[in-house]
Amino acid sequence: MLFSSIPFLFWFLPCVLIFYFIAPRGLKNTVLLLSSLFFYGWGEPRYVVWIVVAILLGYIFGLLIERFRSHNKISKLLFILSVSSSLAILGYFKYVDFFIDNFNTMTGLSMPLLQVTLPVGISFYTFQILSYTIDVYRREVAAQKNLINLAAYVALFPQLIAGPIVRYSDIANQLKERTHSLEKIAVGIRRFTIGLGKKIMIANLLGELCSIFRESHDKSVLFFWLYAVAYSLHVYFDFSGYSDMAIGLGKIFGFSFPENFNFPYISESITEFWQRWHMSLGSWFRDYVYIPLGGNRVGVFRHLFNILVVWMLTGFWHGAAWNFIVWGLYFALLLMLEKLWLLKYLHRYYIWNHLYVIILVIISFVIFDSASMGQAFSYLKAMFCVGGYPLISEEFLYYLRSYGVVLTVAIIGATPLPKRIWNRVSKTSVGGNIEIFAEPLAISILLVVCTAYLVDGSYNPFLYFRF
Amino acid sequence: MKKYKHMICVVFVGLIFVSMSIAAWIKPSREFSDSERRKLAQFPEISPDAVEDGSFITKFENYTQDQFPMRDTFRTIKAFSTYYMFGQLDNNGIYMKDGYAAKLEYPLNEESVNHAADRFKFIYENFLADKSLNIYLSIVPDKSYFLAEQNGYLSMDYKKLFAMMQDKMNYAKYIDITGTLDITDYYKSDTHWRQEKLTDTAAKLAADMGVTLSDQYTPKTLDYPFYGVYYGQSALLLPAETIYYLTNDVLDSCKVTNHEKGTVGGIYDMDKAAGKDPYEMFLSGALSLITIDNPTCQKDRELIIFRDSFASSIAPLLVEGYSKVTLVDIRYLRADFLDKFIEFNNQDVLFLFSTLVLNNSETLT
Repeated sequence: MLFSSIPFLFWFLPCVLIFYFIAPRGLKNTVLLLSSLFFYGWGEPRYVVWIVVAILLGYIFGLLIERFRSHNKISKLLFILSVSSSLAILGYFKYVDFFIDNFNTMTGLSMPLLQVTLPVGISFYTFQILSYTIDVYRREVAAQKNLINLAAYVALFPQLIAGPIVRYSDIANQLKERTHSLEKIAVGIRRFTIGLGKKIMIANLLGELCSIFRESHDKSVLFFWLYAVAYSLHVYFDFSGYSDMAIGLGKIFGFSFPENFNFPYISESITEFWQRWHMSLGSWFRDYVYIPLGGNRVGVFRHLFNILVVWMLTGFWHGAAWNFIVWGLYFALLLMLEKLWLLKYLHRYYIWNHLYVIILVIISFVIFDSASMGQAFSYLKAMFCVGGYPLISEEFLYYLRSYGVVLTVAIIGATPLPKRIWNRVSKTSVGGNIEIFAEPLAISILLVVCTAYLVDGSYNPFLYFRF
Repeated sequence: MKKYKHMICVVFVGLIFVSMSIAAWIKPSREFSDSERRKLAQFPEISPDAVEDGSFITKFENYTQDQFPMRDTFRTIKAFSTYYMFGQLDNNGIYMKDGYAAKLEYPLNEESVNHAADRFKFIYENFLADKSLNIYLSIVPDKSYFLAEQNGYLSMDYKKLFAMMQDKMNYAKYIDITGTLDITDYYKSDTHWRQEKLTDTAAKLAADMGVTLSDQYTPKTLDYPFYGVYYGQSALLLPAETIYYLTNDVLDSCKVTNHEKGTVGGIYDMDKAAGKDPYEMFLSGALSLITIDNPTCQKDRELIIFRDSFASSIAPLLVEGYSKVTLVDIRYLRADFLDKFIEFNNQDVLFLFSTLVLNNSETLT
């Protein structure tokens, strides 16, 4: 089920809110768990079994690791089994066909593909379970004795299918005891609705433009650039919009989820970009892969190797295809160059450093969005005038005019400028008084307009089916 | 102060959210959308198989969209937001220019044009080639022919479409009617042309087929307001239009036989005029095979028109020169069965199709 859908907004969510708020404190997590399993099973009922299996494995291994904490070898063995079983489930569903396909290519054999359908959100919930068992093994958190609480943490529908990746340690206390208040609900409503607006009114329109480009028979160099810019903004608004909705829903239910995006397109370096983009994934890899490998407290070559491993895995996490691996390695290369040499210069050249980040990120998303590496190369060649396309085309001009306002809104919205203006105005005495009514009015209008787009059946893609 | 802000936010947004949710749950389902001219999705049947294969979920999502309370109002809000807030040039492929709503007909679908030409060639080779017949081709331009290119909208290559059809139908004499038309000859909210504006076009067709028309008609006004197909598709509260239709003694005396139902009626179907699409008043709308018998015609001259819906309003204006006019719509009648219904011999045969159908010809059999 998509957050940006009528069944979710006007059928599922009201029911959950009613049951949740009338349920006694002790049953609230049960309500959340059952509604989360219903939410998950809505699209693919048969995959509920696998999330339940994953939860049970995490629960049992967590308890066993804690139980045998004093026996290092047993504890370590249980930990390895726990990580292996989680990765095995993820590996089977997400990567088995990729490996068979590549094995066939390398050997010339023709082993049949298993045609495994990827359960939605498996990468997110697997990483959450891994973070739980790793933290238990590291003695950073106590094992959760209550299965309902652990299951509610893993399956919590606000962040189940598109993150942020909430670590168990972040909300362990909130699972046990959390407060609900009018303020939290108001903040949650505002955050959720803004996220909904970002998704429906900006990301979806830009996604529509990208689809038009892909089907166009009148491509040109500038149309390739228009697509690349639109896709980069589309991914940002889609993903950060989803995160906003998740964080907002979490607030309504009394949780505080970590932030996932912090205006990444204003970064002055790729290093900074990844401190602002999909922050929950970045910190997951930092804490559970990069630092255990030695991080930067090792020799130069080992440090570079660590970066390479982390970014190859980051790419692979996004999808079982070569373009995602190349996408990860592309960032690995850029990060290595920055760490070795470039970073100290970048801060000196204002504007150029932003341009550097934006162009390199745009290129990265062309690779990310490609169906194959062949397509990625042909798109990149076309963008740099070596694809044999004309500079300009009729369709480019038409769609630039048609989507110009959306693109402008998206570009401005990707910076902190609107937030700063809003904050500055609301801090004045007049602005503060107006804000009391203006903000609820604006949020209400946004909700109504978003509903209008949903009712009209507008373009509403789901980006996370490969994650 | 902040406390009040939060309270107002929760109450205000909550009220809207709760109202919309309750309305969505309790609103009775509608069968049909008059504005969109289509059946609306109904609550799907639940079965284990339907849940397992995802069809229940898809149908339920369609149901919640189609049956959402105040659906037309929400569609209008979306259309206004698209055009006026985001300044987009079209909404779901419909654009507005000078009060005229038109569909982006782009790009030229050469495969479709070839398919149409192939179907017409099939008819020619199987039923017309060895007969004594005068064969004509005329193409009705859609509204974008007059609006798109001049106003910066994407426009298909009309010249190429016309040239392709003429080239592939070299067995037919081409009658160019584009010079007799301009955008004011079309309804603002509909795809079709206005009958009362077509006398020049009919005269051009008739003259090129060797027929003279008297051009004496009395215009009549239909009492029902006309909201064309783009009224619903654009969702833009376009004003109602008036349908005028032309009458004279010849048209009044004509008998129209609907061979689908075996019924006989007049040129103008007043039951359809009061229906969901008043344009269907012209020869009762989309029908596979009808004949118009003109008892006032002194000559024994017949016309067969292979046509789409544009012909419904112009065919009556050609009747004067013929004792019998047969209209065939091969979207609803399989072309290989034509000789079971029509005897081809010594007639004028006119292929009269709009650019809309030629560019989207998958329904031609």
